[in-house]
Amino acid sequence: MQSYWFGDVDEHGCAPYRGGPEALGKRLESLKFSPATFVPFDWRDAGTCSFTHDREEYIRKLRELCFYLADAGITRQYESRDAELLQMVRTLDQLDEVSNVLTERALEWHRTINPAFSRKYMRLPKQKLLPMMKRGGSPAFRQVINEIEQLASVRTALMKEVSRRADDVVPNCSALLGGLVAARLVSQAGSLATLSRLPGSSIQVLGARTALFSHMRGGTPPPKHGIIFQHRRVHNAPKEVRGKVARVLASKLAIAARLDQYRQEIVPEFIEIAQTTIDNAGRTV
Amino acid sequence: MIWVENVLVSPGEGGVYGERMMKEFRVWDPYRSKLAAYYYLGGEFELHQDMVVLYLGAANGTTVSHVADYAGTVYAIEFAPRPMQDLVAVARRRNNVIPLMADAAQPERYAPLLEVADLIYQDIAQPEQVTIAIRNSIFLREGGRMLIMLKTRSIDTAEIPGIVLERSLAALEAARITVLDTKWLDPYHKDHAAIVCSPVSD
Repeated sequence: MQSYWFGDVDEHGCAPYRGGPEALGKRLESLKFSPATFVPFDWRDAGTCSFTHDREEYIRKLRELCFYLADAGITRQYESRDAELLQMVRTLDQLDEVSNVLTERALEWHRTINPAFSRKYMRLPKQKLLPMMKRGGSPAFRQVINEIEQLASVRTALMKEVSRRADDVVPNCSALLGGLVAARLVSQAGSLATLSRLPGSSIQVLGARTALFSHMRGGTPPPKHGIIFQHRRVHNAPKEVRGKVARVLASKLAIAARLDQYRQEIVPEFIEIAQTTIDNAGRTV
Repeated sequence: MIWVENVLVSPGEGGVYGERMMKEFRVWDPYRSKLAAYYYLGGEFELHQDMVVLYLGAANGTTVSHVADYAGTVYAIEFAPRPMQDLVAVARRRNNVIPLMADAAQPERYAPLLEVADLIYQDIAQPEQVTIAIRNSIFLREGGRMLIMLKTRSIDTAEIPGIVLERSLAALEAARITVLDTKWLDPYHKDHAAIVCSPVSD
């Protein structure tokens, strides 16, 4: 006997399954198939089965079911806890980009208004530069500066929310890495489920794609760290142990990601040991 | 295949992804679609009205919509939710497209929804692309064809594309699938090869 979406078929004929898309979907999930014994359904042999009158109706009913399954599948994917975190952190990074590009342009603009604008101001942080530039220029120019400042405050608010959300969705990774960097790690991996299946060595170079591929293709030195470089214990580590810290941190993150995916709660015993190991890796003799 | 003034087109309702129209036909861009590139480079395997096509890696449904203009029924498999949303939208406007949200690497999950196919078209970025194609070949009618768009860089970034192709062909032959034709898709798609093949019938 072979089971298909519309019912079961054997040498005696076919037993159509009655029910709407929802019931059919449930039935499909319960069916088991092995490729060795499976015989694909052939419309040309459908004469024995009288559950529909013609091919058009067959396709119409099948499509109805498939649309139902596709919509349900899409909804299920977006319901996962990390889906929104992903969009939040990507929005955050894009806000940074936009704000930097705008600031650079405004700076160029400002220099044409005020040719005496000294280069020494160039090294000022953005927050100090912007109010200074706002003193001159046309109303439109000041409006642009206001918008950049507005973007900065949006960014700050969003960053806090990302950290909060990351503490909730990936508590163990956040404890080791800080919420923001942990969120970026999930974003780079694509999802928490993907991240939890990566080995430590992959997590270590996540986000260093260009360096990694140039290493694989051309034999340049391998990258020591990707996104995790943004974590203080990596970028503050002395250069000679930085690679070691990155490696130890990444391997602990691989465990943390699995805890986040499958236990969905913080595991203090693990965090404590992991923090000590990572701190020890950063000590130079 | 329909050509208007040396431009490949397909008959159907336009406005799927902002494609250009020519005399009521939809222009099929070889730089966007690997299948279009295959025809521009003299590909001989043609689609026709009574074909059932199993399309693995349907993505946003742009190439799917052109295939559906030529073929009878298209079973479009896509795994990722974002492109799936677009694919569903495309399928709603085309009565012969059946969208399936499933992983092409696990054919047993969608097997009961399919029917015997005349053509399996595969365009997926997976290192195990060829294995996946072989696993799906159970859906093929006797004498049916497989059209594999081999993404050599997804299979092995570091290896020379020609060697990746050779290995893939060997893997197909080992699975008793006869390779009928191969074509590099340069200049339209870099490091991509089209493989036309057919399982040996017992």
